[in-house]
Amino acid sequence: MATSPSSFEPDTTFVATDTYEVGEQMSMWQDAWRRLRRNRLALVGMAIVTILILTAIISAFWTPYPVWIQSLGPTYQGPTAKHLFGLDDSGRDILSRLMGGAQVSMIVGVGTATLSSIIGIVLGLLAGFYRGWVDAVVSLLINIFYGLPDLLIVLLIVAVTQQRGLQNIILAISLTAWLGMARLVRGQTLSLREREFVEAARSVGTRDVHLLIRHIFPNALGPIIVQATFVIPAAILFEAFLSYLGFGVKPPTPSWGAMASEGYRSLQFAPHIILIPAAALCLTLMAFNFMGDGLRDALDPRMRR
Amino acid sequence: MSAEGAQVSQAPAYEMALVRVEDVVKHFPIGAGLFGGQVVRAVDGVSFEVRSGETLGLVGESGCGKSTLGRVIAQLQPATSGHVFFKDTDLVSLHGEKLRRMRQQMQMIFQDPYASLNPRMTVGDIIGEPLQNFGISRGKEREKRIHEVMRICGLNPNFIRRYPHEFSGGQRQRIGIARALVLNPTFIVADEPISALDVSIQAQIVNLLEDLQDRFKLTYLFIAHDLSVVRHLSDRVAVMYLGKIVEVADSKEIYLNPLHPYTKALLSSIPIPDPDLEAKREPILLKGEIPSPVNPPTGCRFHTRCPIAQFPKCSEEEPALEDKTPGHRAACHFAGQL
Amino acid sequence: MVHKGETVGIVGESGCGKSVTALSVLRLIPDPGKIVGGHIFFKDREVTRMSAEELREFRGNDVAMIFQDPMTSLNPVLRIGFQIKEAMVAHERFDNNAAEERVVPMLKKVRIPAPKDRAKNYPHQFSGGMRQRAMIAMGLSNEPGLLIADEPTTALDVTVQAQIIELLRDLNREMGTAVVLITHNLAVVASLCTRVIVMYAGRIVEQGPTRQIFYNPQHPYTWSLLQSIPRIDSTQHDKLLTISGLPPDLSNPPPGCLFHPRCRFRVDRCSKQEPPLEEVGPGQDARCWVLMKNALAGAESTS
Repeated sequence: MATSPSSFEPDTTFVATDTYEVGEQMSMWQDAWRRLRRNRLALVGMAIVTILILTAIISAFWTPYPVWIQSLGPTYQGPTAKHLFGLDDSGRDILSRLMGGAQVSMIVGVGTATLSSIIGIVLGLLAGFYRGWVDAVVSLLINIFYGLPDLLIVLLIVAVTQQRGLQNIILAISLTAWLGMARLVRGQTLSLREREFVEAARSVGTRDVHLLIRHIFPNALGPIIVQATFVIPAAILFEAFLSYLGFGVKPPTPSWGAMASEGYRSLQFAPHIILIPAAALCLTLMAFNFMGDGLRDALDPRMRR
Repeated sequence: MSAEGAQVSQAPAYEMALVRVEDVVKHFPIGAGLFGGQVVRAVDGVSFEVRSGETLGLVGESGCGKSTLGRVIAQLQPATSGHVFFKDTDLVSLHGEKLRRMRQQMQMIFQDPYASLNPRMTVGDIIGEPLQNFGISRGKEREKRIHEVMRICGLNPNFIRRYPHEFSGGQRQRIGIARALVLNPTFIVADEPISALDVSIQAQIVNLLEDLQDRFKLTYLFIAHDLSVVRHLSDRVAVMYLGKIVEVADSKEIYLNPLHPYTKALLSSIPIPDPDLEAKREPILLKGEIPSPVNPPTGCRFHTRCPIAQFPKCSEEEPALEDKTPGHRAACHFAGQL
Repeated sequence: MVHKGETVGIVGESGCGKSVTALSVLRLIPDPGKIVGGHIFFKDREVTRMSAEELREFRGNDVAMIFQDPMTSLNPVLRIGFQIKEAMVAHERFDNNAAEERVVPMLKKVRIPAPKDRAKNYPHQFSGGMRQRAMIAMGLSNEPGLLIADEPTTALDVTVQAQIIELLRDLNREMGTAVVLITHNLAVVASLCTRVIVMYAGRIVEQGPTRQIFYNPQHPYTWSLLQSIPRIDSTQHDKLLTISGLPPDLSNPPPGCLFHPRCRFRVDRCSKQEPPLEEVGPGQDARCWVLMKNALAGAESTS
């Protein structure tokens, strides 16, 4: 037998951890930011988005020329020194209108992402957590909305409310966009509610509402953010499409889609009128998508540790 | 029987019981609808008591239902039927807010130190959550209490704002223990608290649990599959097999004089870190496999693998869990005959 | 070193490098890890220098390995009998028919009841213990000289573990296959192995015949580990001796002996210089400046 440790007191002192034993202090966000920084495409995307936001903000206070003034020069005029992007079919400055359109796009994009996310998150959390009839109802709603064409829903709302303001458009698009978020959050909730730390929280007396807010929601935040990021370009595109068709914002409010629509007829001889807003749209969508992809990779828990 | 084995508690059990489990049954339905009716009989009629201040060890192999039983007792899973009396209240009859309030006295320590802590919450928040749930102290007072309980569990209070992933497995388990302790409970259900830890860390946590029990007069239900640790830590041991308790006795007694053949086989299979002893030992190898809890064997559930099963008695009549000697219960028609 | 027909146990905790050592023998280290120094020999061939083709022949044929979780090493969509046969055919030692005929006797040898029927089952129809036996059957089907078992019983119940250990012991005796058992469970090693290697932080800190390691451990880590394990047959209810602190971070290791921050017998030299692995008894080596025999003698002389 190993010699009995009679001369040694058993170690009953509590072990205090020393600094060297604990790893580097880093929250999930810091780790994600670190990873994001390494993704070049995502950085490019973020840069473009930043420019877009700045443009949108600036245009609220100043544009080279007011967006609604017509006949600033010969109509259909191409780019010149005074008007960097030229004039449209009514002689309005395209650059100014582009900036104004940026504002519209950002408001619609972010507004829709926010509203649809709130609806989707709340319904998704409730459906995934309580299951049973709550889930049945929400899933039914999702399936109904999923089956109906988005365009139809939006047109219906626009027609019913007889309004074409930005708020209305945001509301209309949100009512189709919430589905993806709800489904995502429901799935996340279903799996998270089985995790041991949720059970542990329940065992220390945490109420349901706090289980959802403190435990389930924060752990689903990664995919939620990514999903919301992708809603923005989708909403922007949808609004552009609506405006192109003539159901979007009322003129003379500039919208890239409306501008493209106006330029369609003059494609042959004044292509800049349609090409410039189209290019802006393209660039914006790409930027958001790169950013979204980058965020998804950066927030992926599996790639950590 | 040696002098050690004869020292069995004399006091009547029910008088000192803090927790009394009565005929608890937990079934899980599988295959809804079409194939309906099939259930997994995870816990199939279990009764025992946990005395105030003691550590009752609950052992069994995988599939025996011990973890499920632990969760049902802690009211994290609803019992299919039966009663769980805590002091004089039947927990099974409590719901909603009343049940929630009861949780202040009864806490749980979980097995997986990686899964049982919310990765998005700081240590301080995790340990402080129970206090927040019941509106106990706030601000500086609360922080003081959290620091105190961290120190008691061997954690440096300076790390109160760190996240779980920055700690090792053993430290995370200490966080879990601190969380269970912060409400000053009287009863703790520990579900395999050391199984996921390294061997050299297990001893630290075992010692910590013992010290906490002495200091705070805690009562433990210690669930584990490692009989060596259970024996070291527990005053009494209950052995489970396929959803039922097959033997209950003092921890010394159960090793020296196991009455149920399953207990005996289990004990003989446990390796001892002593080469000469191991060379002489012959484990009792059970034939067959653990039956499915969906279709447990008739009569005594152990009869399909029992070396001393006699037919038709063992396959037709289920043995009751009763005292074979004072304080030593076994569910076997031929107890002690292996 | 493993001698022919020997049973060797490699013990250590998570992160000590025991699995990595075993995987290195088969050159199975996943990227980006790689072997940067030293040599591995099997019989008289150098494994570290083998080409891809030689390795393919070597693995499974001369040295076989079984892992902790047989569910992930078995293909869930193929029948067990087929997988065992495949292991033989792949090494071209037996042709299809000969291999087919060896399957059932192999299953019988690992004590799987009703082997003929069981050979047609899929992995999910087997219990954990039986899957492990099937893995052993597969590993031994080509009659390798060495079987490496990496934590084969960690995920199994204790009664099943006893059966598997018995099986390995008997197979070692009957077939003469050397067995290297990797585990963190010292007690299992005591029952199966004739020699023990104790690892800590990527190094061998002690090795020797089993009896000597258990009854006369010289390295403080081995000694402390033995003191900290509760035994089912212990009569006292003393506190367990603990090893304070945590295993070292290998990207930032402590100077000198890697165990010294947690060692209760350390002296000055321990924090400055890492001790070499030296002989401390017949066939027993330890990596320590102090050694238990000196530490305990010193303690007794002061008390």
